[in-house]
Amino acid sequence: MRAIAAAVAAILLLSLSALAFGRSPVELLNILVTGSVGSRFAIEGTLLKSVPLLLTGLSVALAFRAGVWNIGGEGQFIVGAIAAIVASRYGVIASLAAAMLAGAVWASIATAMRLWRNAPEVLTTILLNFTAIHLLGWCVNGPLQERGAQYPQTDVAAVALPQAGDVHAGILIAITASVAAWFLLYRTAEGLRLRATGFNARAAKWAGIDVDRQLVRAMAISGALAGLAGGIELLGVTHRLFERFAAGYGYSGIAVALLAQLHPLATIASAIFFGALATGAGELQRTADISSNVAIFGQAVVILVLILFGSWRARD
Amino acid sequence: MLTLRGITKRFGENVAVDDVTLELRGGEIVAIVGENGAGKTTLMRIAAGELAPDSGTITGADAIGFVHQHFLLVSDFSIAENLALQRAWSFASLRKLEDEAERIIAATGIDLHGPSRRVEELSVGEKSKLELIKAIAKKPRVLILDEPTSVLTPAESDELFAVMRRVASEGTAVVFISHKLPEVLAIADRIVVMRRGRVVLETKSMTADELANAMVDAPLPTSVAPAKNIVAIVGVAGNGQSQLAERFRDEHPDAGLIPEDRTRDGIIAEMSIAENLALRSKTNADALIKLFSIKATSAKQKAGSLSGGNQQKVILARELSRKPNRILAAEPTRGLDIEATAFVHAQLRAAADAGASILLITSDLDEAFALADEIQVIYRGRLSERMPPAVAREKVGALMAGLP
Amino acid sequence: MIDVILHALPIAIVASTPLLLAVEGELVVQRSGIINLGIEGMMLTAAMTAVLAQQATKSVLAGFAGGVLGALFVAAIFGLFAIRYRADQIVTGTAINLLALGLTGFVYKAAGGLIFSASPVREVAQYAVVLFAWIAVPIALALLLWMTRFGLRLRASGENPDAVRHAQRYRWSALAIEALLTGMGGAYLSLALSSGFAENMTAGRGFIALSIVIFGRWKVRGAIVGTALFGVAAALQYTLQAMNIGLPFHLLLAVPYVVTLLILCGIAGRVRAPEALGRRD
Repeated sequence: MRAIAAAVAAILLLSLSALAFGRSPVELLNILVTGSVGSRFAIEGTLLKSVPLLLTGLSVALAFRAGVWNIGGEGQFIVGAIAAIVASRYGVIASLAAAMLAGAVWASIATAMRLWRNAPEVLTTILLNFTAIHLLGWCVNGPLQERGAQYPQTDVAAVALPQAGDVHAGILIAITASVAAWFLLYRTAEGLRLRATGFNARAAKWAGIDVDRQLVRAMAISGALAGLAGGIELLGVTHRLFERFAAGYGYSGIAVALLAQLHPLATIASAIFFGALATGAGELQRTADISSNVAIFGQAVVILVLILFGSWRARD
Repeated sequence: MLTLRGITKRFGENVAVDDVTLELRGGEIVAIVGENGAGKTTLMRIAAGELAPDSGTITGADAIGFVHQHFLLVSDFSIAENLALQRAWSFASLRKLEDEAERIIAATGIDLHGPSRRVEELSVGEKSKLELIKAIAKKPRVLILDEPTSVLTPAESDELFAVMRRVASEGTAVVFISHKLPEVLAIADRIVVMRRGRVVLETKSMTADELANAMVDAPLPTSVAPAKNIVAIVGVAGNGQSQLAERFRDEHPDAGLIPEDRTRDGIIAEMSIAENLALRSKTNADALIKLFSIKATSAKQKAGSLSGGNQQKVILARELSRKPNRILAAEPTRGLDIEATAFVHAQLRAAADAGASILLITSDLDEAFALADEIQVIYRGRLSERMPPAVAREKVGALMAGLP
Repeated sequence: MIDVILHALPIAIVASTPLLLAVEGELVVQRSGIINLGIEGMMLTAAMTAVLAQQATKSVLAGFAGGVLGALFVAAIFGLFAIRYRADQIVTGTAINLLALGLTGFVYKAAGGLIFSASPVREVAQYAVVLFAWIAVPIALALLLWMTRFGLRLRASGENPDAVRHAQRYRWSALAIEALLTGMGGAYLSLALSSGFAENMTAGRGFIALSIVIFGRWKVRGAIVGTALFGVAAALQYTLQAMNIGLPFHLLLAVPYVVTLLILCGIAGRVRAPEALGRRD
């Protein structure tokens, strides 16, 4: 499949770019691979990173399939985590539910602006990202700051996700979400309407679909998924909030979704790929002193190659 | 003046133009007639140099003006700005452009005033004049017009013919593509009939029936009595039909809806036939395919790969299988061949007989008179009163031109 | 209240000069029918290459040239995908931003930080850029777009590209103009307004620029008014801080983005964008 070719091509291009910095491409490739899947530690790291990527990827995939440009995964991730830590005293389920709700509401701000004021959601969601980042900054420096008020971070959350070694239960939640998204899209009438709206909103209107309502629903679900990602990352990995909590998971979701050609089940493989890339890039930074920004660079290359091959669109 | 020899053009497997040889002479008005898909537009686009032929030669081609069927105008710009797009100049004020425009328009002898008006505000007839002015202003040796009267009222068509005659008398070779036989017979010096990409007949005089039969394979169906419950809204395209259709759709979301642009608004090309049907119909897809004789490999075939006629059948199947009380059919047979047109008419008739009330929006007067028992004319967004066909026949020409 | 605003105005104008240059550039590009979401990445790259060029040559002029070159590089990639290959412009723009983010972050870390001790741009030169952006460019663009055949055809490319021969050429030209302006804006940001390059220093200015283009209804007048409005509103954040009232520091940082959101809310009803904007043909 072309998507796989795109991923491979991207990795090759990435390693070749090592030449520009006087390093051997083979060496770079080697470190990437061993750093991501070469040991139990590496594999666990990859899986841990794949979980939020899977959820933000699903978030973007569902939105794009409905024809909505939700670039706000980053902000929805953050507010989800904020809601999660505030609600963490009520238990894991309440905490994650709050995360989903917060993400949905944050996304719905953009939806409202589009429906009432014609404001393009591609811009409003991005602006909301920046807003959320500073909201987080305020929270961890102010009302939610840890009791000692020493560092800009919160206290440890009241609950945590069950774990097996370093891997936490979030992985099960994420996979369930993936299957649920697949079922929604391909086995329900609502999913049919959503896909129709994404392919051709005008024709969908002529087929009796309330396009505005589809928009609202799609964005809400999309935001909820990204919010859930934030909540799981909090309760499963970091256990507390701090500045720079989001670390680009929201934006990375775009690359994940596109590589998966917006298909919910393929998103699992795509998330693992980018999780491996991120983990491997971390290893690169540790051992070869190459900035982990290569991971972001890698995402961009993958997307560009996919665009070149014309293979990021949904093709049922 | 312009000679095409042995021109062939393929689009994939479809042979659009098949070994055509044609001579166009100055001072002559030639009409190219044929059914939809006969290759008329493709051939003329090749003649004008817009498309390259796969084989064959073109000699004598120099200044050629082409008046396209779909306007190549910028709606947001004024008449003057549109005319300025193709001229040679570098720097000028708006005032200067408008003065230039007036000069150009006067030189063509066509009546179009107010060069500072935005194209958006013009009537369809005026837009058509602007396209014509654009083409004539370059003083072409060959002037090609593609379905020029499809959006004109009878009065505007007469104006156009006068211009065409004048241009021809000045030595230009004038070619026009049309499927309206009465005008062809009225104005053309020579008639070229095309069918399936080939020239089947070239003549200087013929009767309407002979011409019609030369254009098609099968004899035309005889007329049938109009059905009850069908109201036809007729008018030249661009007089508010789309807005009317959208208002109807928003007011009656449960109605059966057959939109004007079937490939863009009717079916969802990327989804399968079954999925398209499932959007509104609860009937089994295979059953519908059989019932409506949709030519497809299976229900899983992507709707975008179907022919125009079959796409229309999918839409009909989806909408009519729900047995709605109300149906909107906008230009339901546009671009369809005779067989598909007859099928659509039969389906609409059947639905009307079963009790549904149908609103038919069409620019095809024949279709309107064949199907409807009440006619209304739309002009600039306003509807006339309802009339029975007999009364309408007299008034329709004037009403379409905006005369009371 | 009035004198608070008046006090903030000159600061606002100087501080939002990079933004204005981006708005002006994007205006031209969108008038030609393209949405360049990657303008954020373009400015970020320019900010970095400007510093690199200045540090290598010790010349501020070379720094600005370096900024423009960096922007042109990004524009070339974007144009290749969006114009030549007719790819989806939103996805391409997003990829460009990621590319620029990764690239600049990488170079920043590899170069061990790109900091000056003081702004290398002298005051006189600073005012020159401000006058350029706020007076010279608007006049030039207004003349170019509305009084020349080039401008007419460029605008036609954004309304109905079929009515123009070689609409692609005009789009490429528009992109080049945007790169020139945005390149200077990025250079001004890192060389004059800041003490060098910092990761992600553009902080969303590109997206704010996009919003202002829409708010200004794709007109030059609107660009100036919109940017000035935004600049004042954003500068208020510092003034309020200095007066120790208002919101806590971090929330004040969010003010520019909230203001932009409000600006986008100001386009009630139908906004008439260039008709062919964003279409993939």
